[in-house]
Amino acid sequence: MTWLKLVEGYMPMQMISELAGSILVFALINWTLNRAGMGIPKFWAGVGVWIYIQLYLKYRIYPPIPFSVRAIYGTVSACGIFMWVSGSEDAWQEFKRPVMNVMDGISGFHKGMRTVALIVIPLALGGFAYNSFLPSFEEPIELRTVHPAPPATTKVHGKTFVLQVVENPYRVNNEGKYDQAYTDARIVEQAMGRLMKDVNDPNYNPWDPNAEGYTKYVREGGEIFFQNCHFCHGDNLNGRGLWAYAFNPIPANFTDAGTIAQLQETFVFWRVSKGGIGLPGEGFPWASVMPPWEQHLTVDEIWKVVMFEYWHTGYYPRTWD
Amino acid sequence: MGRLTSGRAGKKFLAVTGLFAMGVMLLLPIFVALPALAGGGAPAAGGPPPDVVAAQEAEGAEGEEAKVEIGRDVYYKTEGPVVGAPAPKTQDTAEFYPRYNFESRVLLWVANQQHLYYGSFVLAVPIFCMCIEFAGLLSKDRAMAKKYDQLAYDFIKISLTAYSLTAILGGILIFTFLTLYPAFFGYLSSIFRPVMHIYALMFVAESGTLYIYYYGWDKMKEGLLKWLHASMSVVLNVIGTVLMFLANSWIGFMMSPAGVDEQGRYLGNIWHVIHTALWNPLNVHRILGNMAFGGGVVAAYAAYRFLSAKNDEERAHYDWMGYIAMALGVAFLIPLPFAGYWLMREVYAYRQQMGITLMGGLLAWLFIIQATMIGILFLTTNYYLWQALGRMTGGERFQRYIKYFVFILVVGLLVFITPHTIVMTPAELKAMGGQQHPVLGNYGVMSAKNGGINAIIMTTIASFIWYQRGNRVPAVKWAKFGNIFLITFFVVAHLNNIWVACYGYFIPANVRIGLSVPQVAGTLSCLFFGSALNLAMLKQSRELGPIRWGQIAPRSQYALIMLATAFTWMMGLMGYIRSSVRLFWHVNEIMRDNSPWAYTHTIGFGANVISFNVLFFWITIMFVFWLGALGAKKAPVPATQPVPGAAPQPATGH
Repeated sequence: MTWLKLVEGYMPMQMISELAGSILVFALINWTLNRAGMGIPKFWAGVGVWIYIQLYLKYRIYPPIPFSVRAIYGTVSACGIFMWVSGSEDAWQEFKRPVMNVMDGISGFHKGMRTVALIVIPLALGGFAYNSFLPSFEEPIELRTVHPAPPATTKVHGKTFVLQVVENPYRVNNEGKYDQAYTDARIVEQAMGRLMKDVNDPNYNPWDPNAEGYTKYVREGGEIFFQNCHFCHGDNLNGRGLWAYAFNPIPANFTDAGTIAQLQETFVFWRVSKGGIGLPGEGFPWASVMPPWEQHLTVDEIWKVVMFEYWHTGYYPRTWD
Repeated sequence: MGRLTSGRAGKKFLAVTGLFAMGVMLLLPIFVALPALAGGGAPAAGGPPPDVVAAQEAEGAEGEEAKVEIGRDVYYKTEGPVVGAPAPKTQDTAEFYPRYNFESRVLLWVANQQHLYYGSFVLAVPIFCMCIEFAGLLSKDRAMAKKYDQLAYDFIKISLTAYSLTAILGGILIFTFLTLYPAFFGYLSSIFRPVMHIYALMFVAESGTLYIYYYGWDKMKEGLLKWLHASMSVVLNVIGTVLMFLANSWIGFMMSPAGVDEQGRYLGNIWHVIHTALWNPLNVHRILGNMAFGGGVVAAYAAYRFLSAKNDEERAHYDWMGYIAMALGVAFLIPLPFAGYWLMREVYAYRQQMGITLMGGLLAWLFIIQATMIGILFLTTNYYLWQALGRMTGGERFQRYIKYFVFILVVGLLVFITPHTIVMTPAELKAMGGQQHPVLGNYGVMSAKNGGINAIIMTTIASFIWYQRGNRVPAVKWAKFGNIFLITFFVVAHLNNIWVACYGYFIPANVRIGLSVPQVAGTLSCLFFGSALNLAMLKQSRELGPIRWGQIAPRSQYALIMLATAFTWMMGLMGYIRSSVRLFWHVNEIMRDNSPWAYTHTIGFGANVISFNVLFFWITIMFVFWLGALGAKKAPVPATQPVPGAAPQPATGH
């Protein structure tokens, strides 16, 4: 359904709202039909709502939702519908009546349905079993660990960093002291896109010639990023760089709420330094071709580029205090 | 007459004195053991290793004054004298890891889990007994008081048989440790020696109290003696809770060691060893979990007896029993996610990589399964309550709104269980254009999940309020205002929850974590304030009809059985996750596991072992139930309750 777009930034709530609206419309239609004495039988109402949810998830949401998630959603919605149709004894009796009628064969039509069911259901199950045993040439499913746990310490250019406590030396205020709140206040704003807070203020615009301290370091990090990283991670840091589609999976999308926004800055420092080859066993399959940047960048450069990534995406590194 | 009175008074005096003496005798071993605790214990069992002894002997001639080595605590960073041996450096040999032709870890896993299941059950049930016995004592309705008393007795009878099994399984667990992991257990017991002795003495005290509590039931059923009997249940539960806290200190030490230096040498402060970073969160989480689990098991027992009941009286009794057990279990289930949240927060604060391994890395998929189980628990609870409305005249007026509650529950659950790391084929990955889905990816992180679970919990609370009102209509003057206020309160709490969940994406993580406080506060306000307001409105209420105990759809009883099974499965799962997070360490970062089984199992294998544990527990607990049913005495509950005056009603009292 490409003509009715999901609005970026509102997509998660939009999906829930659309589903809620649909259910309300169904309830309203059913109520009206009931008033007119033409109510939809509970059995068909339940089956209809379930099919609607499956179709919505498959055809409305883009990019397509992987089957494993649709299977979870399908099962949960089926459980919900069962809870609804069997919530009270009257509803349950009404729901199961068509099924019982077919089972009991109360008329010729129902007897015919029963015969069809007795033939079709075993055949369908047999077909399902047969298909599941057929050899498949598809690549197997990967249960990939996107964020493997980092080590307690990491050694970069001969220096050991304790990842639990180490701080980015460039995340500093005007006095040169480490200041998370100061730097957090100077990142880009997230609204319908990402915007600098005040383009004319050197405190907010790293590309202002008068930028000093934190904002200057962000600019330096940006220069490093555009010299080294943007080919894969993209100039908007969304993982859609020039070379991105040469890889599967494509490079990490830093603008997604599930990547750097969930991590401590030291985690990103470790991942950048060690690259795909430095992933621990937990990260199997190691589907990352990111080079170990410690071989190309200094420690200071890595810290600056990490800081730039947070600045540009408008996310805050995770902290514990 | 006077002699009779003085004779009775004398007997009472003797009984009180006897009980007091019993209490003192039971607690004496603990006081005797206290100096060992205060002194921090002696050097590690077996003394220092041979090379250290040899070095000490060589120095012996000049070493008139013993040189005290000072070590630095790995967690508290304080300094203390080294009084223990370093943690053994094990190798994959029969000396360190003797074995059968089977994976030792799985044997230990099963032994541990079975002991934990029974341990949880026998710690939880006496707490229920205490609550029910006090409810009976405080009840003004004598018939009701008697029924409560009988119910408490039924509970403790089941617990007594389970208690013996707990002790047996504890023995099996220790033997399994000693025979399969001698080096590790030797090290652990050298650190915890005084604690282990106190644990054993507490167990003796627990056993003594439990037996007197059970066998003294009939002798102490009137007057002051009854109060003493009820007080004994408090003592019983205090001892039981301390026992659990002590056992928790061992697993807390294994996960987040303290009180030792980097080599694992004990530094003489036993409190540091006990009071590790994760000890208190584990304590709170476990006590709530045990209560919820115990309630689930007793509810399943009642459901089983309901389904196999031969007459209406039996059905009424077990319907009531199932309801009480379920209500108690769910009362502790509701705060459980918050305790879990605190535990995870402390885990992250202790070690970032441990938190990521759990929630975002290797074990993240197990957490999705856990979220699914939590969802099943809450949905099943709601379902049971909706079914229970069917046995009340007037309950049907709420049932037409079930579909809206279902919608909130399902949406909350879908968000709650959406995985952060999605399982997909490489083709799906390509079609999606990256590892993160732009819509679902937002459900996969904590901010949304907090919103999801809070929505589920608030809906469950609303279902409880429905249930409390099932057959009653508030008749207070301010009923209309109260209803509007209550509805507005819930709507605002839901809106606040959704707003905070969305806002969480736009703020730093530390602020977001802090924002979970108003989110939780909204939910807890619904629980405490909403329930209190509802009860106040029902103080003066119009009865629409009686509660027809026993006249409930059998589906509700299957829901109770499902509730208990989900509890059991989830407990097995969480135990596995908690233990697995240490990865290849016996004691995190102190003692490495060098056995051939120091790897993380596949999810499928883990799930199979958990399922086996669940099945084994339910088979054995059925045996316990069968024993409990032998010669059971019940106080039948009339199938239809009379419309009462001021008598407390179980349906509305919880």
